[in-house]
Amino acid sequence: MWVYEKKLQYPVNIKQTNPKLAKIIITQYGGPDGELGASLRYLSQRYSAPYPEVKAVLTDIGTEELGHLEMVGTIVYQLTKGLTLEEIRAQGFEDYFVDHTTGIYPQAASGVPFSASALQVKGDIITDLHEDLAADEAYKYRQLVFMVYNVSCCQNSTRD
Amino acid sequence: MSERERLLKRLSSYDFAIAEMHIYLDTHPDDRSAAAALRVYEEKSGALRSEFEEKYGPLSPSDENGNRWAWISDPWPWDNQEV
Repeated sequence: MWVYEKKLQYPVNIKQTNPKLAKIIITQYGGPDGELGASLRYLSQRYSAPYPEVKAVLTDIGTEELGHLEMVGTIVYQLTKGLTLEEIRAQGFEDYFVDHTTGIYPQAASGVPFSASALQVKGDIITDLHEDLAADEAYKYRQLVFMVYNVSCCQNSTRD
Repeated sequence: MSERERLLKRLSSYDFAIAEMHIYLDTHPDDRSAAAALRVYEEKSGALRSEFEEKYGPLSPSDENGNRWAWISDPWPWDNQEV
């Protein structure tokens, strides 16, 4: 089972809204290499893991990924909180807004809803760990894209 | 940054170290120096947690001490504390 803690793993306090950036970052919430997929990948692969060390590490990492999911959801929430109609139009947020207003929906940047088809659980330790490595590499690449995007168009959106 | 946020950030720093040490120890359960470091972080985190909860309310449902209002009260973790 799990016990909830009423705090983020790391604090998130965003200075100014930015719906354009939110539409990119939401893929880290519910996209193909996002935190929801990461949690489900590790927490589902652990059942068939044959060694105690692997059962433990998949459980603890899968749990930590849920904490990451909460931080990403918070980022998207704060980036889109209290938008005016003008801001929604000017920053191209209409397509997300018409479906979800400013609710936090698990989807990719392209708008495709979260799907378990972007992860795999094979019940074979070598296959599953290789899948984890591939997913982690995709995640690192995604972080690089976020950094470039954040520096070039969205300075001052975040602090701390 | 408010006093509450400063305290929460310090607590989060120790809790992050604890989480990472736990993951390391999952695959290196016989590493005594790592286990000793974990205990140090747990002591520091425990003291900060007590201080935070005394001042600002419970961090987990089991710490609510019968005060349902304190548990449900804002701010929740996704609420922005700097605007």
